[in-house]
Amino acid sequence: MPDKAISYEELTPGHKFPSTKYELSASFVSKYLKAVDSKGDGFVPPLAITACVIAATTKSVPIPPDTIAIHASQELEFFKVVPIGTTIECHIGVLQKISRGKMNMLILELEVIDKDKEKVQSGKATIALPT
Amino acid sequence: MLTEIQEGKALNSVVKYITQENINLYAEASGDFNPIHIDESFAGRTPLGGTIAHGMLSLAYVSEMMTSAFGQNWLSEGRLRAKFKEPARPGDTLTIEGKINCIEQKDDVSYANCTFECRNQKGDMIVTGEAIVKFSSGKK
Repeated sequence: MPDKAISYEELTPGHKFPSTKYELSASFVSKYLKAVDSKGDGFVPPLAITACVIAATTKSVPIPPDTIAIHASQELEFFKVVPIGTTIECHIGVLQKISRGKMNMLILELEVIDKDKEKVQSGKATIALPT
Repeated sequence: MLTEIQEGKALNSVVKYITQENINLYAEASGDFNPIHIDESFAGRTPLGGTIAHGMLSLAYVSEMMTSAFGQNWLSEGRLRAKFKEPARPGDTLTIEGKINCIEQKDDVSYANCTFECRNQKGDMIVTGEAIVKFSSGKK
């Protein structure tokens, strides 16, 4: 769910959105592999995990009305092989908010941990919001 | 997997044909149902002129190339930095290519520094970036 407690204008660096949990079930992985037209290798593809984080981002971040959010860049770091069936927790925070003319940019900090609180993945996503 | 990790070595390229069905499946799998990806009527009225693939779909193909080259080293100790330059659209054929630019040693650990590009059938750059993989450790 979008973080209704805050609007885009009110977002400031340091803001943390409520965390989101996903179960990386066999059916999720199978659906993901079909979507990306890949055979897989018995583990959860790291980008399947990132897909969950980005989905959590699109659900959490309040985008101004009538604005198309453009995923401009992505940084990622993987820390462990993730078995199918793992439950992950996605944490998203605002790192930077930039306004340049008719372009707003939101730089988000992403972190994924597993049930043992071990880091699975981290990264940064830059979202461009043309006004 | 690569049998030899050497500077200048090209990674096995990946070629993918994007369909609206792939995009819809990706939306379903990821839960990202932004209408710019799945609603042709909505997307047609935006400056983009039609639906576009999720950026992460194109990046998934890059990761497939890296996994095929480096196996579990990529899954457990890979890093990447990517810029989405142009959107990929249904009907596009994407070719993902990469190479090992240099190999660095830091504290007895080796890192393969790779660059990658994802282009469509017209040669337009869709995604570009760099990836780093740790592939051996000399420390006991």
